[in-house]
Amino acid sequence: MTTAETSMPAARWRPDKDRLLTWVCVGLPLLGLILFFLYPMVIVFLRSLTVEDGYGLANYARVLSSAGFWRATWHSLLMGGTTTVLSVFLGFIIAHGLHRCAFPGKWLVRGVIVLPLLAPSLVQALGLIFLLGRNGVVSRALGIEIEIYGFWGLLIANTLYALPQAVMIIGAALVLLDARIYEAADVMGASPSRQFRDLTLPAARFGILNAAFVCFTITITDFGNAAVIGGDYSVLATEIYSQVVGQRNFNMGAVVGIMLLLPTVISYAIERQAMKRQQTGQATGEVRYRPSFAPLRDSVMAGLSLLICSGIVAVIGIVVYASFVTLWPYNMALSPKHYDITLAGGYSSLWMTIVISVMAATGGTLALFLLVLGLRRLPRAAAQPIHVLAAMPAAVPGMVLGLSYILTFNSTATPLYLLYGTAVLIAIVNFYHYHTQGFLTLMTGFRQLPPALEEAAGSMGAGLGRTAVDIVAPFIAPMLVSVFFFLFMRSMVTLSAVVFLTTPDLSVAAVTIMRLDDAGLTSQAAAFSTCVMAVVCVALLSMKATLRLMSQGHRVTGGA
Amino acid sequence: MYLTVREATKIYGSFTALNRVSIEIDQGEFVCLLGPSGCGKTTLLRLIAGLSDLDEGEILLEGTALSGLPARKRGFGIVFQSYSLFPNMTVAENIGYGLKIRGTSRPEISRRVTELLKLVKLPQLADSFPGQLSGGQQQRIALARAIAVDPRVLLLDEPLSALDAKVRAELRGEIRHVQRSLGIPTLMVTHDQEEALALADKIICMNHGVVVQAGTPEDLYNRPRTRFVAEFMGISNLLPADAVGRAFPDLAATRPKGREDDHIACIRPEQIGVTPDPDGNSSVRGISFLGNLRRLEVDSPAGSLVVETHGANPCREGDRVALQVAPDACIWVADDSARAPTEAHA
Repeated sequence: MTTAETSMPAARWRPDKDRLLTWVCVGLPLLGLILFFLYPMVIVFLRSLTVEDGYGLANYARVLSSAGFWRATWHSLLMGGTTTVLSVFLGFIIAHGLHRCAFPGKWLVRGVIVLPLLAPSLVQALGLIFLLGRNGVVSRALGIEIEIYGFWGLLIANTLYALPQAVMIIGAALVLLDARIYEAADVMGASPSRQFRDLTLPAARFGILNAAFVCFTITITDFGNAAVIGGDYSVLATEIYSQVVGQRNFNMGAVVGIMLLLPTVISYAIERQAMKRQQTGQATGEVRYRPSFAPLRDSVMAGLSLLICSGIVAVIGIVVYASFVTLWPYNMALSPKHYDITLAGGYSSLWMTIVISVMAATGGTLALFLLVLGLRRLPRAAAQPIHVLAAMPAAVPGMVLGLSYILTFNSTATPLYLLYGTAVLIAIVNFYHYHTQGFLTLMTGFRQLPPALEEAAGSMGAGLGRTAVDIVAPFIAPMLVSVFFFLFMRSMVTLSAVVFLTTPDLSVAAVTIMRLDDAGLTSQAAAFSTCVMAVVCVALLSMKATLRLMSQGHRVTGGA
Repeated sequence: MYLTVREATKIYGSFTALNRVSIEIDQGEFVCLLGPSGCGKTTLLRLIAGLSDLDEGEILLEGTALSGLPARKRGFGIVFQSYSLFPNMTVAENIGYGLKIRGTSRPEISRRVTELLKLVKLPQLADSFPGQLSGGQQQRIALARAIAVDPRVLLLDEPLSALDAKVRAELRGEIRHVQRSLGIPTLMVTHDQEEALALADKIICMNHGVVVQAGTPEDLYNRPRTRFVAEFMGISNLLPADAVGRAFPDLAATRPKGREDDHIACIRPEQIGVTPDPDGNSSVRGISFLGNLRRLEVDSPAGSLVVETHGANPCREGDRVALQVAPDACIWVADDSARAPTEAHA
């Protein structure tokens, strides 16, 4: 006798080819999650406890008693907090301008705001050095010396890097608010400032909170900007790097990694709760808000947006410009000579990164599709824990994930050792680093798929495999495209997760840029960054074009 | 019997969606499952379709138990409220999908699709995509898709609820015509009593997970057995025994044996005669003109009554009137109001 253990009527519990297939769909990606996420995390935890004669807390005691660690922790938290306040504040201005104000040129703001996402995080730092550094254009023009290395430089770089996230998250919250609510408020006589206070702000509250946690996490886990412009301002991410790469002290690195994990896990947990509140807290906007022109408000908002955007353009643009300057800052004539990369390997790491990114995107999209497809058909009791596991990787900083990989796969204890030093392992780490975002995107997509479609196919005789190929995949295709390009673009620019996994023979683009900068070849670093940005731009444009082509097909309702 | 559901029970956690429900569908019969939302009618349809599993009981098709057979192997056709056409396929591909799965040859599929499009009167739409169709057109295509594979049973889950009134009436006729001409045994779920009355050979009225009454539309309308059925099927005046005694003393004798509050009288509005009479014990409080009939609200010793008259009627608002009801027009029904919604009916 079966009992009703599930409220999903679609789940069927009998020996059946479909049931087997469901378990295969879930099982393979689940095995991946266990092998390439859970297992390495356990290893990193065990290594943090490993001392010469077995296990113990000695490593923790040593780390906690070192002044350097506390300084880095304080720096990380201060930097995280300040960046969060700044980027959420600026992000709200831009999001509010985009969604609640009327001024021309919004497409430009939208375009500029994603620029920091197209480049490895260290590009912001690089740009700031060209602008405000000792030989920067601003410093030289004003004839003053600005100390850009350290807190202030890192703050600006991190803020620019976190800003796109803040804008997107707050914008998503603002867009949810139905226009009719504002119309009702108008009719009831509420002034625009009252409406802002009583309607807009409360609606954006969870969005702001959510954005704050995301910005905080991004900032304290980022490695690239801190490595390039941090100078003596050590943070936890650079501390891990110096423990592991500088002192070859893996156990201590693991301890610092676990310490970095704590705030991100807490922050991520709160963020997830806030998201749930937001989703249940308000109805979706059925009538879109169309702001009408209000001269004072809109000119101020347009001005502020323009100011922020020109900051972003300046920082990214100067990198592209500097890559063509013959000898910064002495000979400003343009020449392509820095594109002749003199570091060993030249452009090979760029091609390798493209290959790795394609692998991560292809394999990752397929694995996520199978996982979500199968999860829908599992009883809730079985699906829930898998769901939680799949959403976990986002809480793990890239540095920690990368460290866990080197500890796990550079050991001959298991046959997984064979993966060490291969491009496949780097593709895998990239996929699991961004697993959560891809997973959640697909889950959202699947939620829009009416259950009746699958049921209709089922009652017509189609099994799981057929339904997946004929019905589900075409329906979910735009989401699959988005996830594919998301994984591709992140893999192209990510640094923190892969910095430990590159070898002299196998490097990736972001690491090469860091090496070029380290070697004092700043202009070549700029040139290499420009190439990476060009590849990512092409990917972004291909994604937009693909999505547009798809929506022009038959999906659009009414005379498309 | 062609399709038999025996003692079907379905429990979700602590909620019993279906409690030992038994129904039967004969060859070629059109059966409606009628009831308010949450009564278990859709649960029952999904059980029959194989989209969810029985906790107890069995479902037999021509004497063979269906348990363990997944939806895709039952060979039933189903139409959902939400159209549920595959958005990535053309109309023709949608209709032919079931045949394609069964390995039918392409010329045969295209012949059948053409035939079905003609049957649902949309032959020109073969190459359109669902997104370009109106709701009514989509639902016709969904119907064609469901019957394309000569289903052994056709299941309709509130197929008309999402459509506007005029399209609904049109498509109702269409469904009836198609079902009659093909003779497919059909089970339709609906909460609209008018739809059930117009379409069904047999109506199964459900409430709170049990079958309250099953029978022909005439049976359910003219001889409801419980207050719930009387209220759900059309408009009725429901009067407790003492009120009947006050207003229509000669009807009191028709009350079945038992305690006075076991039964209440159900009198349909069109069964009450109304004549102007200065000495009458009732008065007209309001009149609404509904085209083919007038609906009068009458204050009587039994309380407020709804009366419907066809054609010309001399009564005006405020007139005193006398009321007449034939003894056989007063149906005594069991008062199950403790389990039924109390407000009146549409």
